[in-house]
Amino acid sequence: MSTVNVSDSTSDAMDGALLRSKDINVWFGERHVLNDINLQFPVNSVTALIGPSGCGKSTFIRTLNRMHELIPNAKLAGEVQFQGENIYGTDVDPIQIRIQIGMVFQKPNPFPTMTIRGNVLAGLRLSGKRNRSEDDLVEKSLIAASIWNEVKDRLDAPAGSLSGGQQQRLCIARSLALDPVVLLMDEPCSALDPGSTLRIEETVREISKNMTVVIVTHNMQQAQRVSDQTAFFLSEDNNPGFVVEASSTNEIFRSPKDKRTEDYVSGRFG
Amino acid sequence: MMVGQINTVNVSTTPWRVRSTKKLTAIAVASVVPAILTLIISSQMQLPGLFGLVLVFLPLQLLTASLAAVLVVGKRGIADAILTVTVYFLSLVMAALLGSVVVSLVVRGFKALSFQSLYQNSFLITSVTSLDYGGLGHAIVGTLLTVGIAVLFAVPIGIAVGVFLTETQSPLSGAVRFLSQSLTGLPSIVSGLFVFASLYLTGLIQRSAVLGSIALFLLMLPTIIRLSEDVFKLVPQDLRYAALALGATRSKAFFQVVFPAARSGIITTCLLGAARIIGETAPLIVLVTYLPSTNVNPFSGDMASLPTYIFSWLKFSTDAANQRAWGGALALMILVGVLFGLARYLGRKKI
Repeated sequence: MSTVNVSDSTSDAMDGALLRSKDINVWFGERHVLNDINLQFPVNSVTALIGPSGCGKSTFIRTLNRMHELIPNAKLAGEVQFQGENIYGTDVDPIQIRIQIGMVFQKPNPFPTMTIRGNVLAGLRLSGKRNRSEDDLVEKSLIAASIWNEVKDRLDAPAGSLSGGQQQRLCIARSLALDPVVLLMDEPCSALDPGSTLRIEETVREISKNMTVVIVTHNMQQAQRVSDQTAFFLSEDNNPGFVVEASSTNEIFRSPKDKRTEDYVSGRFG
Repeated sequence: MMVGQINTVNVSTTPWRVRSTKKLTAIAVASVVPAILTLIISSQMQLPGLFGLVLVFLPLQLLTASLAAVLVVGKRGIADAILTVTVYFLSLVMAALLGSVVVSLVVRGFKALSFQSLYQNSFLITSVTSLDYGGLGHAIVGTLLTVGIAVLFAVPIGIAVGVFLTETQSPLSGAVRFLSQSLTGLPSIVSGLFVFASLYLTGLIQRSAVLGSIALFLLMLPTIIRLSEDVFKLVPQDLRYAALALGATRSKAFFQVVFPAARSGIITTCLLGAARIIGETAPLIVLVTYLPSTNVNPFSGDMASLPTYIFSWLKFSTDAANQRAWGGALALMILVGVLFGLARYLGRKKI
C-alpha cells in the first residue's frame, strides 16, 4: 500500500513501474473494444481491475502477456512495456513473455490427463525449462498456493479428483512453479465458494511480497481486501472500454474523483 | 419441542416410491391390453409380424397409454405418454432387428466356423467339399493386410487434417473441410474404379492387394478427418490457453495437453474408420481378384479378403458353399468385435 504510482490517461509519470501499458487499443474484427489504456503496475504491487461485465478488463489483462493474439480476429495497437522493453517488439518471443508473466484463468483448468504433481511441473515440461529438484519445486509451489496440506498425500492422484477451489489453487501453483515476475489473474474466484476465495486471497497477499499481481475481479470487497491500487474500467453505450479512474485502492473506494466510479463502487450500478 | 416431535416421527427406511394401486393398475392394463388385442387382430387378419406391430400395436399402445396418462396425472400426461411409448417402441424394434442379424449370423455361420477353418485356406476346396476341410484363414490374413495398410496411412493423415482443421486458423480450412466432407459421400465402387483407372490401367501399380488398400484408404480418410476434428474440438479451449500461458509452443501444447486429452476419442476414431472399411466389398471385387490360397505379400499377386471370400462362395448354390459364406460373415463380425474390444482396452483412461 505504500508506493502507489498510478497514472490515468492524462498523466505522464510512468517511471518506476515494472509493467505498464501505453495507449493500448484493442479490436475484435471491426469492433473497437478498448481505447487508450494507460496503466502501470509497480514492482510487488497488487492491482485490481474492476468494472461492469463486457468493459474489456479480461481483454486488457490478456494483452499483458500476449495471450490476446491467440484469439482469432484480435487486433491491437499500443505498447506494453515490461522491464523497460516493449513486449510487442518485433524480436520479442511471446513464449519468453508468457513464462515471465504467468496467468490464472477464470475457470479452473488443470490438465485432466496429468496428476497433481504433473500439473505443477507442466510448466517446466511445456516451456522446456529444467529444474534439478522437482520434488522441492512441487512442494514449494503447492505451499505457496496454500494447497500443500490438502494434497501432499496424493500427489499422484489425477488433478480432476480435486474440488473446484482446490483445482484453482492447483492452477495457481502451476503458474507459480515457473517463478514468474508478474502473475495475471482473470477473475480467479468467480467460480468458487467463499472458503476457497478466502484461501486464494490469502495466497495473493502472500505471493505479492515478491511478485507483481494483476487481478480482475467483480467483487468490490475482494478488490479492497487484496489490492494496493485499483483501476476502474467502463464501456458506455457500446463505445470501447476505457479507464475511468485509476488510483490507490483507498482512494478509489473512499474518495473517488469521478462520479461514475463512486456510483459503481457504492453499488449503484454494474 | 420441535426436536421432540421430529424424533417421534416414524421414519421409513425404504426408499420413496409411487405406491398408488390405482395408478399401477391403470399402467398395467394399458401395457397388457394392446399386446393381447394385437395378437388377436393379427392372427385373425393374418398380418405379418412387423405390419401388426406398426399398424395395430403402436396405435393401440399410444391410445391406451394416453388414456392411462389422463387417469394417472391428467391431460398434461398425454404428450409424455406418447413420447415414452414411441421412444421405447422404436428402440426395442431396432434392438430386435440388430439382435436378429447377430443371431442369424451366429446360427448359420457357426457350422462353417471351426478351429481348423481359422488357419486353413480354401485351396482346392470346391462347392461340394465337406466343411471338415478348408477354411478362411487366408481371407482373414488378406483382410488384416489390406485393411491394415489402409489404416496405416489413413490414420496419421486423417488425424493430421483433423489437427489442421482445429488447431490452426488457416483460411484454407473451410475448403479442406468442404472437400473432405464431399469425399464422405464417395460411393465405394467409384473409389474402386478411380484407383483402377488411375493407378492400375496406367501401369503405376501392378496387380496386387495394395490397390484395394488405396481404394479403402480413400473411403476411410473422410471418416477419420471428420471424427478426429470432432474429438479435438471437444478438448476445452481453456486447456490450450492454459498450456500456452505456461510458455508452451503450439506443438508442445498439442502433444502434451490436447492430444492426451483426446486420446481415447482418437482411438475410437481409428476404430470406427477401420469398421467403416473392413466390410467393403465393391472396390475389392474391382481391384483384387479373389485367391483361394494364402498370399502374404500385399504388393504382388491376388489376395483373398473376408468380403470377397463371402462373395466367392455366394456364386454357388450348394449347402456347403452357402455355409462357408455364412461362416465368413460371422468371422467378419467377430473380427470387428475383437477390434472394438482391443480399442476399448487401449483407450481406457489411464489416470
